[in-house]
Amino acid sequence: MLRAFSTSATGMAAQQNMVDVIANNLANINTNGFKRSQIDFQDLLYLKLRESGTEVVAGLTAPSGLEIGSGVRVASTVKVFTTGELQNTSRPLDIAIAGEGFLQVSMPDGSTKYTRDGALQINGEGNLVTTTGFQLEPAISIPTDAMSIDIGKDGSVNVMDGSGNISVVGTLQLARFPNPAGLSSEGDNLLAETAASGTVITGTPGENGFGSIQAGFLEKSNVQMVTELVNLITAQRAYEINSRAIRAGDDMLRTANEIVR
Amino acid sequence: MSIDVTRQVSLNIAALESEFNAITNNLANVSTAGYKRFVSSFAETLARQQSLLGDNDISSANLQVGIDFSQGLSMIETGRSLDVALQGKGFFVIETAEGPLYTRNGMFRANQNGQITDSLGRIVSGQAGPVTIPADIALSQVNIAADGSVKAGDTTLGQLRVVSFGDNENKLIPAGDNCFRAPNDLAVLAEENAAIRQGYLESSNVKMIDELVDMIMVSRLYQANMKFITARKDAGESLMSLAMG
Repeated sequence: MLRAFSTSATGMAAQQNMVDVIANNLANINTNGFKRSQIDFQDLLYLKLRESGTEVVAGLTAPSGLEIGSGVRVASTVKVFTTGELQNTSRPLDIAIAGEGFLQVSMPDGSTKYTRDGALQINGEGNLVTTTGFQLEPAISIPTDAMSIDIGKDGSVNVMDGSGNISVVGTLQLARFPNPAGLSSEGDNLLAETAASGTVITGTPGENGFGSIQAGFLEKSNVQMVTELVNLITAQRAYEINSRAIRAGDDMLRTANEIVR
Repeated sequence: MSIDVTRQVSLNIAALESEFNAITNNLANVSTAGYKRFVSSFAETLARQQSLLGDNDISSANLQVGIDFSQGLSMIETGRSLDVALQGKGFFVIETAEGPLYTRNGMFRANQNGQITDSLGRIVSGQAGPVTIPADIALSQVNIAADGSVKAGDTTLGQLRVVSFGDNENKLIPAGDNCFRAPNDLAVLAEENAAIRQGYLESSNVKMIDELVDMIMVSRLYQANMKFITARKDAGESLMSLAMG
């Protein structure tokens, strides 16, 4: 009987994790380039209680063995890398990646991180940076006399100076991973390479499976509010029903206790 | 005679306890993709036997204990290119050091070498070895057809292996981690009628309401059988006190 308690407790813990994941998805519904997470549950090990063919009740034999599971656990959470909705902002430095790929960001400690948040800015030194102020890699510096900036589908950054001359000052490079689900989330919309993600592959936007750059657009999150809310209700009900099982088990134990009262 | 009855009642109680445990396991796994519920009609059979259902025809009750391999209740759309659901009979094959395992949880991913694996990183078996996605192909370009063939554009990368066990499905042993193990003598058949749906996951086949109803029936029967023991004990005590004067 005590087994049922711990089994139901794993069920409650799992649903609680589910609610945590849903809450984070919903909280980031307006975060540019955010990818929703999905949770992978797995059943726990089974205990063999009875071989098949044994007598269950006088005169009744079990046609198959009895193996009782011990509940559920969260095997992992997976980020779902489908493209979010592209929103037109008309700001020349807003870029969205239509398809696969991440922008590369160099961190102050020298490491490289990855993001799909393309709300770019120009910092005091004239370099292209993310909203948080981290420099893009390869670094692209915008001349001080630039009148307008235009980023092409292939990632080339074109600048027009005061006298109307257009020049290419750099090209954005995208990064890709064999297993993007293995990237670790670092906050600030940044992702980092891990052993599970595989080695980074870099390339030019629009080539070799990389998405192309859409300037004047931002990629919204890929969180669907209705889906998340439906999942939330399901998780809440499942949590409730697992707690009800604990109560039913408690009632049963109480009857057992009454024998020796 | 009366000892026999008490023995049967205590057997009933033990069987009801394990049925209750099985129900709690089903409930704990209601959100587990590809989970197959454990069914036991013991409580129902017992209820008929003890005339609690107003029908004491035991022969009509067929005691069933085992795993219900019916299709999951719904197909959940996720849009992930490596989420696959099986429609119809069959299992995906997971390669482990201890031999193959069989699963219907299709939340797959690619490892650092591009091979398709399950969420624990174990290789998912293809018709000819693991299915590998080359580094120059993005995951979003991968298409998995209904027959399990994995393609990127016109290039075929491999085909996921789907097997079944005919009428011997009930001999599979649950191994945890959403997998089943097959006894050595079980024939593994290639399954050609299952349709693979990319971007979907198969939900569990646990119906919350049904489990709740079963749970109530089991706990009531458990309490009734416990009451029987209490009554016998009380009767025994008064007989003893009568005899002892």
